[in-house]
Amino acid sequence: MSSLKELIDLVIAGDVQGVKEATKRLLEAGEEPLRVINEALIPGINEVGVRFKEGEMFVPEMMMSAQAMKAGVELAKERIGGAEVPAAGKVVIGSVKGDLHDIGKNLVIMMLESSGFSIVDLGVDAAPEKFVQAVKEHQPHLVGMSALLTTTMPVMQEVIAALEKEGLRDTVKVIIGGAPVTREYTEEIGADGYAPDAGAAVELCKQLVN
Amino acid sequence: MEYASSHGAGMAFRTLSPEQIREIHSASCRVLEEVGVVVHHDEAADLLKRAGAYTGSDGRTYIPNTLVKRALATAPSRITLYNRLGEPALWLEKSNVYFGTGSDTLVYLDPFTGERRPWQSADVAMALQVVDALPNLDFVMSMGLLSDVDRRMINRAQYALMLKNSIKPQVVIAEDRGTVEDIFEMAAAAAGGKEALKHRPLFVLYCEPTSPLQLPFESVDKLLLAAENRIPVNFACGAVAGASTPITVAGTVVQANAEALCGLVVHQLKNPGAPFLYGYGDSPLDMRTMMAVYAVPEALLLQGCLCDLARYYSLPSWGYAGCGSSKVFDEQAVVEGTMFTLMGALQGCNLMHDVFYIESGRTGCLEMLVLTDEVVSRVRYLLKGVNTTPEYLAVEAIMRVGPGGNFLGDEHTARHFRESWGSTLSDFNNYETWAAGGSKTMGTRIREKLREIMDNYRPTPLAPDTEREIDGILRRAEERLGG
Repeated sequence: MSSLKELIDLVIAGDVQGVKEATKRLLEAGEEPLRVINEALIPGINEVGVRFKEGEMFVPEMMMSAQAMKAGVELAKERIGGAEVPAAGKVVIGSVKGDLHDIGKNLVIMMLESSGFSIVDLGVDAAPEKFVQAVKEHQPHLVGMSALLTTTMPVMQEVIAALEKEGLRDTVKVIIGGAPVTREYTEEIGADGYAPDAGAAVELCKQLVN
Repeated sequence: MEYASSHGAGMAFRTLSPEQIREIHSASCRVLEEVGVVVHHDEAADLLKRAGAYTGSDGRTYIPNTLVKRALATAPSRITLYNRLGEPALWLEKSNVYFGTGSDTLVYLDPFTGERRPWQSADVAMALQVVDALPNLDFVMSMGLLSDVDRRMINRAQYALMLKNSIKPQVVIAEDRGTVEDIFEMAAAAAGGKEALKHRPLFVLYCEPTSPLQLPFESVDKLLLAAENRIPVNFACGAVAGASTPITVAGTVVQANAEALCGLVVHQLKNPGAPFLYGYGDSPLDMRTMMAVYAVPEALLLQGCLCDLARYYSLPSWGYAGCGSSKVFDEQAVVEGTMFTLMGALQGCNLMHDVFYIESGRTGCLEMLVLTDEVVSRVRYLLKGVNTTPEYLAVEAIMRVGPGGNFLGDEHTARHFRESWGSTLSDFNNYETWAAGGSKTMGTRIREKLREIMDNYRPTPLAPDTEREIDGILRRAEERLGG
């Protein structure tokens, strides 16, 4: 018989298989699915966040923990029967048209997912219409755009203009990032926020959602 | 043999054993054949297909080993780069080493006030003149991203500044085919025509894949244009180990090699025998900060591996030196820049760029230029190795001076002391003399030298009609782009 405490430790250890097995055992033994999520899986990932901040854990370990947590949550959700598990916020995100670079954007996605955000990933080379369509369809809290090339940066402004034209600009916060993106540029194009790295992007999203 | 090292055997540093080189080559060929690449360019995809590559329904192109072998057989093993005066200047082959700056930093760090601000055209012009003035820096790049020029004109405007402010060979970044065409035309104006320029290349074009294993349209388009016009070109990405390439040095080498070879295959299919520079960089992801960082030991190791592979393939090599992750010109900047410069030289990397990059490439630091000029001077002296001819073994002199004597008064000393390494920047005084001279640190002396260059140095100007021609090319491009 697994305990909730053991499950917390398995999440911290980033042991995906271990978390799956322990979650199954707990559920089969009659444990409440929501209790498994709220008293083991979430506290586990929260502890990972604390250890990361203190410099004891590093991003790749955090990723493994997040995967482990998600695997556990999936199993618990099956028991609840499709009920929504509340997310910290919803983010539509993509690398803008003309830009094939997605390493930075994917890092932000992984970090956001680890912090409980739900993500709609538009991938790379995403045109303004694609952003508009996704905002209409998913009604996110935030829109995130990434560009590595100075030549594709102006597309960010086009996306903001497209959102304004469709009357959607006020329904979302727009954040931007990528190596050449600066705070000045953020202000220039009228975005709501900018983060110099993936860790800061998570903090920024949390601030903007609250 | 008088000097072991000038033949690449004595002082040179080798990172991989011959067995490791074969293992890496084999692993990279497996990646090209089993994992494949995504080619976002119809002509390149077609060239590959007709040569025997297979494109699956998954959109990936799988490249068989024979194509790699054929490309390696047709690619030249050496490239001569010429300066703006049409003189041969850099011989990219074997373990010859050359150093130059980097391109497109976002922030200009004022060496005298410490202010951080966006680059203006006047800053870039001045920075290029500093590189032109420093004898141990061999080529120029665009230094800073111009904030006072229409975005679409930046690469063209940078190139005009490079031509006007330095005679040294160039490495060029250009966003697309149209930009390369204009740059080629400007270079041709300076070199005495397009055919003369093809014969005596003045610049290398920088192109890059998008890791992992993607060939973006613009890059491939430029690569093909370069092949067509015999413009020396590389296909070198900046890896971010742990994100865009595997976390291990060997894994990054395998993937980097696969991507570079893939570029070479496309390039040689377009125009067999066109000049290609082999190389790649690595700025591993710091797993705490999620920053891609420069000049860590892993980056130096990767470069060593690639230089060994370049020699195995008989291709000229491309790499990094004189750069780092520090935010200001401090002790960390000096450690990182100096280590990279020395290691790159020992590795025998032919064309090393990014001298003056700090903050992992976001900021350009002119003090690093002057410092690295001094480091390269020391390094070049080292690479010469030791002369062991009888005159240098000096048995006659030892005989003349004898036990208990002093070499200071001997003719052998007088004959050779000027061959010793010397510096105008480092200080070799005693404490009292140094203090009497104002107790100047290396940093202070570097800034004084910068001030002196900026106030007094003027590069060899372009002929007035060449300058008008270049300005005309810029103006026409501006009109065409509707600026």
